[in-house]
Amino acid sequence: MTSLTAQAAFYSMAVASVASALLAVTRKNPVHSMLWVLALFLHVAGIFLLLDAEFLAVVQVIVYAGAILIFYLFVLMLLDLPGEVGRPRFGRHWPLAAAAGLSFGALAWLARFGTPAKDGVDAAGEAARAATERSPRGGLADIGLELFGPFALPFEIASLVLLAAIIGAVVLARRRAAGS
Amino acid sequence: MIVPMGVVLGLSAVLFGIGVFGFLARRNVILMLVSTEIMLNAVNLSLAGFSRYLDDPSGQILALFVIAVAAAEAGVGLGLVIALNRNKPGAGPADLTELKW
Repeated sequence: MTSLTAQAAFYSMAVASVASALLAVTRKNPVHSMLWVLALFLHVAGIFLLLDAEFLAVVQVIVYAGAILIFYLFVLMLLDLPGEVGRPRFGRHWPLAAAAGLSFGALAWLARFGTPAKDGVDAAGEAARAATERSPRGGLADIGLELFGPFALPFEIASLVLLAAIIGAVVLARRRAAGS
Repeated sequence: MIVPMGVVLGLSAVLFGIGVFGFLARRNVILMLVSTEIMLNAVNLSLAGFSRYLDDPSGQILALFVIAVAAAEAGVGLGLVIALNRNKPGAGPADLTELKW
């Protein structure tokens, strides 16, 4: 892919992801919100692809869009949907929430100028790669080597976290036996 | 690299701000949790960007761990929502002021 098409793809997906995130937090019908979040996840997966993070893009589609979002949609069926659509979507304090979101976004936006990314990091990374004439690290093989090398212990702990979450979810959602 | 790092970080900042707004403003527990997922996605985006820029796969590993924790959070959070819905049907975050019922 040439640089220009890649840039066009990046910016169009960036705009689409911001738009779908905005629609997701403002739609009245929760199911519509979920579908916009799905659009957001797919666009973010596309951006991962452009950032040479293929494995992350695949995991984003399978785990996020495929598993987590479907789980949310299933739980959404517990809601009283017509009543939900009839009620106000935001609390009365929503201008404060908008101010908080705006100021946080603005702060993070400003903080990006504090990073040396504009020339230092950018140039250093590109130069290092150009010197060795190899493809950028971060392919599937690199991730596997890292995951089962230096990150083996955190990887195993992640499975423990997931096990704890499974048990916790079952205990919380279990219907109490009669009389207890 | 196709775009400057600042662009990726800026996109991540905007998405995170939208997630903060959604979490604070929505008055439905499930949609608040979904706004959290938007924030986690924004963070993953900047992690993948840093991984690409610093030419180091550790950023992607960290993003994978974030996804694993997000899955755990979704499981426990939605378990709480189910328990809440059983005990107090139709309750929103504004009704949960007494810590016990």
